Amino acid sequence: MSSPTCRGVILSDFNAANLADCLKSSDDLPVVESTVVPFGEAIPAMFQRNSEFWRGEPEFAVIWTQPQSVVDVFRDVLRYQSISLDRLLAQVDEYAALLVNLTDRVRFVLVPTWVAPTSYRDFGLLDLKPGIGIANTLMRMNMRLSENLERSAHVHLLNAQRWIESVGNRAFNPKLWYMGKIPFGNEVFLEAAREIKAALRGLYGHSRKLIIVDLDDTLWGGIVGDIGWENLTLGGHHYLGEAYVDFQRALKILTHRGVLLGIVSKNEEATALEAIRRHPEMVLRPDDFAGWRINWQDKAENVVELTRSLNLGLQAVVFIDDSPMERARVREALPEVLVPEWPDDKCLFESALHSLLCFNPPAITEEDRRRTEMYRSEQQREGLKRQMVSLDEWLKSLEVRVTVEPLNETNLQRTVQLLNKTNQMNLTTRRMADAELLKWARAPNHRLWVFRVSDKFGDSGITGIASLEVQGGTGTIVDFVLSCRVMGRNVEEAMIHSITKHACSIGLENVSAQFIPTGKNKPCLEFWRRSGFKPDQSEERFWWWLDAAYPRPDSVAIEGSLD
Amino acid sequence: MKDQGERMTANDRILKLIFKGIDSINAMRPKEARFAKQPDVALMGESGGLDSLGMVNLIVAIEQQIEEQFHVSLDLADDEAMSMRDNPFATVGSLANYIAHLLERKGL
Repeated sequence: MSSPTCRGVILSDFNAANLADCLKSSDDLPVVESTVVPFGEAIPAMFQRNSEFWRGEPEFAVIWTQPQSVVDVFRDVLRYQSISLDRLLAQVDEYAALLVNLTDRVRFVLVPTWVAPTSYRDFGLLDLKPGIGIANTLMRMNMRLSENLERSAHVHLLNAQRWIESVGNRAFNPKLWYMGKIPFGNEVFLEAAREIKAALRGLYGHSRKLIIVDLDDTLWGGIVGDIGWENLTLGGHHYLGEAYVDFQRALKILTHRGVLLGIVSKNEEATALEAIRRHPEMVLRPDDFAGWRINWQDKAENVVELTRSLNLGLQAVVFIDDSPMERARVREALPEVLVPEWPDDKCLFESALHSLLCFNPPAITEEDRRRTEMYRSEQQREGLKRQMVSLDEWLKSLEVRVTVEPLNETNLQRTVQLLNKTNQMNLTTRRMADAELLKWARAPNHRLWVFRVSDKFGDSGITGIASLEVQGGTGTIVDFVLSCRVMGRNVEEAMIHSITKHACSIGLENVSAQFIPTGKNKPCLEFWRRSGFKPDQSEERFWWWLDAAYPRPDSVAIEGSLD
Repeated sequence: MKDQGERMTANDRILKLIFKGIDSINAMRPKEARFAKQPDVALMGESGGLDSLGMVNLIVAIEQQIEEQFHVSLDLADDEAMSMRDNPFATVGSLANYIAHLLERKGL
């Protein structure tokens, strides 16, 4: 997270103190402190930029309103009066515009969807009729709100109806409303707090990225080494077999959201892989896994090795195993790894996976969808590296191509994601939301480029960012970011070549880079120390004088335009 | 009048449902401010810690428990409770006695 404590403001037309308490008391990260705007002042505070509630630079706002409070026409719906749908939707549009305006005061705005008020929840046959039904009208309003907010990357809708459903008949209690002006039962606020924290983790780039699963009695029923792949419980006309297939399908769907899968299993590798390849009901095949460690070693060690081989940190990992003993071992040895308690009942595996609120990116990019494929390509590269005699020979054989382009609306989303997620090869580790970054890049003395990297094994997509601030004859490199997936392939040198070439073309005398240390970016310092730039006395600022061109690495072809 | 054995059992049930109510409000309180589940724990007053919102939350949570376990609805915050000389919400124990009194009046 950007700070140990994440500060927020809660604006609501009801008493939302319980939500603030739930956010504060929950053990989930991030730690949240929030100010609740008194409910009579919430709507005015949304309009007033100078309201005291916005002081102190809160990072997020939760705007939770009841539909009848902010959309006048909806009150007529509650009274069964005929309404103009156009007028109703126009009021939704106005409200959405108000929400978008809040993004100049906070980084993120989280908006629970509207739900029907406590006393209007059962209109039976009329409920879903267009023009009269409350549920029908609310669906239209929420859809319209969602369509309006889709254009803003900083305002996110949260599905409050799901919280209500998960709590059941305790979701509403009239006494809470009459005595405390609290429209929902407290379990709804606990659900809301869980999801708000999950959203914040996702927005700050702290979603988990790798699920490591066991095989026997986790992906399928039975011990493959004992009974053979033909006799595993998987699919078929068996309720447990179907449950395993659904669990695998749910895991596969997560890979489409950019989550990687790995296997750590105590088995003979050949036996286990044969099952994965040959069993007709397997949903997951070898290509769906970014890597595996199938052997008889300690599982905690295998988790560390597999995670390291994928260039990820342990804080990115979820470990799923049916054995309580193995879970306890990994939990104790690797506290950063999320090891959820796992149900004994196989029928609950899929729902247990869905209940993990730790895969929550705010958007899905093409790179996310192809992430497993990229990691598989990386394994092929490593295979080739082992065959080659020298590093240079290997680098040349990869046929690396770097394509540079300026920041634009098309690459913005992925660039922001990369900027906010990358830790190791990151010069200054500054974190920015997309509007901030775009604004910064558009300043006359700023330049920001993104770098796409591909080679003969595949396309890694946008994996590099560099930016330059020009002052007098000096260009200062502000961002120098490279995904660990492509580090060590001379892409770093190609990026510097591009930056210095541009600096030279606009008449600068020198280029410098100031390294800002964090707990994780030592690889970046090590790169700059061998980059050819001259360090100053602090050995953390590096200089290049542009009377000499910075050499382009032989093994990399550079394409695209810096303008 | 119930005999001693029946009364003990009823009191235990009442204490348990109050403890469930305490679990419910503890979930919304920081660790250091959570209430222990003991009969002598103060809820309101100087040594308590529940503000008016916390008391509303506790009352609702306990009323839900009573409804689930005894299948009756009680209004714990009615005028009678508010006008009693000794605050029935002072401690977990006093609240248990008050609930027992209300249940007994309902013939339970």
